[in-house]
Amino acid sequence: MTSAMAPTLAHTSVKPFYFNTSAHLVRITRQKASALAEFLDALRECPESSIFQHSFRTLQEHHFIREGFSNDFAHWALSACNEPSLAEGLASVDVREFTSVAELRERFVQIVQTFLQRNPTAGARTAKETFYFCASDTVVIPTSFVANTLHEFAEGLRRVSVHSIHHHFIEARLRLKLMSNDFSQWLYEDMGLTEAARQLNRLDIYTVTLDDVRAQIIRIVERALI
Amino acid sequence: MEPVESQTEREAPARESQTDFGSVSSPAPPPQQERRKKPRTWEIPPAPVPAPRLDDYKGIVGAADIDELKFLASELAGKTLKMVNSTAVGGGVAEMLNQLIPLLNELEVKTHWDVITGGNDFFEVTKAFHNALQGSDYHLSPQARDVFLMHNELNRQRMQFTEDVVVIHDPQPAALIRAREQSPQRWIWRCHIDLSNPNPEVWGFLRPFIEQYDAAIFSTQSFSRQLQIPQYLFYPCIDPLSEKNKDLDDSFVQQVCDEFGVDRSRPIVTQVSRFDRAKDPVGVIQAFKQARRYVDCQLVMAGGGATDDPEGAAVLKEVNEAAGDDRDIIILDLPPWCALQINALQRASTIIVQKSIREGFGLTVTEALWKGKPTIAGAVGGIPNQIIHKLTGALVHSVEGCAYQIRYLLTHPDFARRLGQNGHEHVKENFLMTTNVRRWLLLCRILLASGTN
Repeated sequence: MTSAMAPTLAHTSVKPFYFNTSAHLVRITRQKASALAEFLDALRECPESSIFQHSFRTLQEHHFIREGFSNDFAHWALSACNEPSLAEGLASVDVREFTSVAELRERFVQIVQTFLQRNPTAGARTAKETFYFCASDTVVIPTSFVANTLHEFAEGLRRVSVHSIHHHFIEARLRLKLMSNDFSQWLYEDMGLTEAARQLNRLDIYTVTLDDVRAQIIRIVERALI
Repeated sequence: MEPVESQTEREAPARESQTDFGSVSSPAPPPQQERRKKPRTWEIPPAPVPAPRLDDYKGIVGAADIDELKFLASELAGKTLKMVNSTAVGGGVAEMLNQLIPLLNELEVKTHWDVITGGNDFFEVTKAFHNALQGSDYHLSPQARDVFLMHNELNRQRMQFTEDVVVIHDPQPAALIRAREQSPQRWIWRCHIDLSNPNPEVWGFLRPFIEQYDAAIFSTQSFSRQLQIPQYLFYPCIDPLSEKNKDLDDSFVQQVCDEFGVDRSRPIVTQVSRFDRAKDPVGVIQAFKQARRYVDCQLVMAGGGATDDPEGAAVLKEVNEAAGDDRDIIILDLPPWCALQINALQRASTIIVQKSIREGFGLTVTEALWKGKPTIAGAVGGIPNQIIHKLTGALVHSVEGCAYQIRYLLTHPDFARRLGQNGHEHVKENFLMTTNVRRWLLLCRILLASGTN
């Protein structure tokens, strides 16, 4: 890709951006729940990779859905427990507000706990389907795309898989421990494009598909090229 | 090859009386042909098509996904893999291995496939085990244990296990784990059946073997058991380039519909499945008849298994009785090599139904979703993994629910189209052969990188 684009001084980075991607294998854990009280216990005890799987990862697995799918917990609360208010609460959790899985778990626990305090009879009611807690085993792999310029960056965004977009744009905050993402960090730190970096962080990932998110990122980057 | 008439030919019956529809009037259907054309199927199976190459999938999943597989495989260069199962032809496992192994070899993960041998006594025992593990009553006798262990031991002595990773499919060869010698070698048990409610005697006998493996793989979460070893989730998958799933010219689809007497100018509701009570074919006919009180449509019931299975023949008889003289119900008992015709019927359909009341993973649902068809299916087995209600399809629990969803989807085409699009994407992300290759590469990498057995 580097050879295809002539770097311009204004849009040349100090450090290249290496596009990576992550591949995930789903492991079935020992935790499962047939009622909300059991679900709360399992939510507290399950490995962090389970919380990651049912929130960050499920968003990736269902990246093509525009409406009505936020995370597996919310989906189960609605479809198996018939508890729409709990489902709405769980669905409102935006994974991008969290830089650690521990904080994210705490938020889910708090929502379920509060719901069960207000609705004590709901805890023992048997769900229509069991919730099986799964976990994600992750392998990070490189891609062939490297960007030294903004042109190359836009081209890379067009050509990598949606898994790579998810890896850099959504999962990255857990790695960076910042309320940001790899793309914004590179645009800000290495390209000096503060406004573009800020705009990327404001994109809504829950009402569009991941391909729509990709298109929006490309539009912001292309505007920065002008 | 000459086309021959299939057993599906029926005399053109009189149209069902409109008065049977109760108080709600039915839309006037278009005039019927005098006589339905004779459906044709091929006398003998067509020659097998060559296995696809990895690059053939680029147009489907994108070049980036194929590159990712190559990167994943590059870390496994020089490693070897052995797959062991109980049959080389027939059945879903052999079909999957026939598709998977050439792709792994193309990625330079040298993969061998061995099939265990055994006498009738062995396969009678393993058939009984298979049913018992899925919940049937069974008493495990000392003789049955001996037969199982003896044939596993004979196979162990006959086979070589020098590969880096050995994958044993299903219970039949499970005791081959006793061949494990080299400490860095990894052994995986791939369970393709539903272990959610196993016969305790058979499971109690097999479990100590299973727990000697490094990992087990199940097809859905609900099919798994609590084990002392890691368990992974590998959804079954379809090959988008197979005869059953590849894109077809519309002219071929039209030709198949013409041969089978399916009118493409009217809505077509289709269920593709064996004539098996678990698929509730009579329930599908009842749902269709309820729905047709409100919307004009035809029903195609395409399946097989009625010629070589006495129970299948009995179910087909029940289905024909339930259909009665209704000319809008087209029942097709097809031989197993009619994959292209099934593909064409699915593609011609407006809606696809899989109203199972018991199910494995339900790959006919995967096939329907892949073709972008709004799909209505029973919420059993692996179907809820594929159909997220109102997002990638419609889940139903009754004849009435199925009838309502048929009516709703036929009268809300925009919503139906969105379900179909989402369903297609869901399959592309999770249930294609390329995803299966990715899972195998990942599991091998993870297990070979782990330090202990």
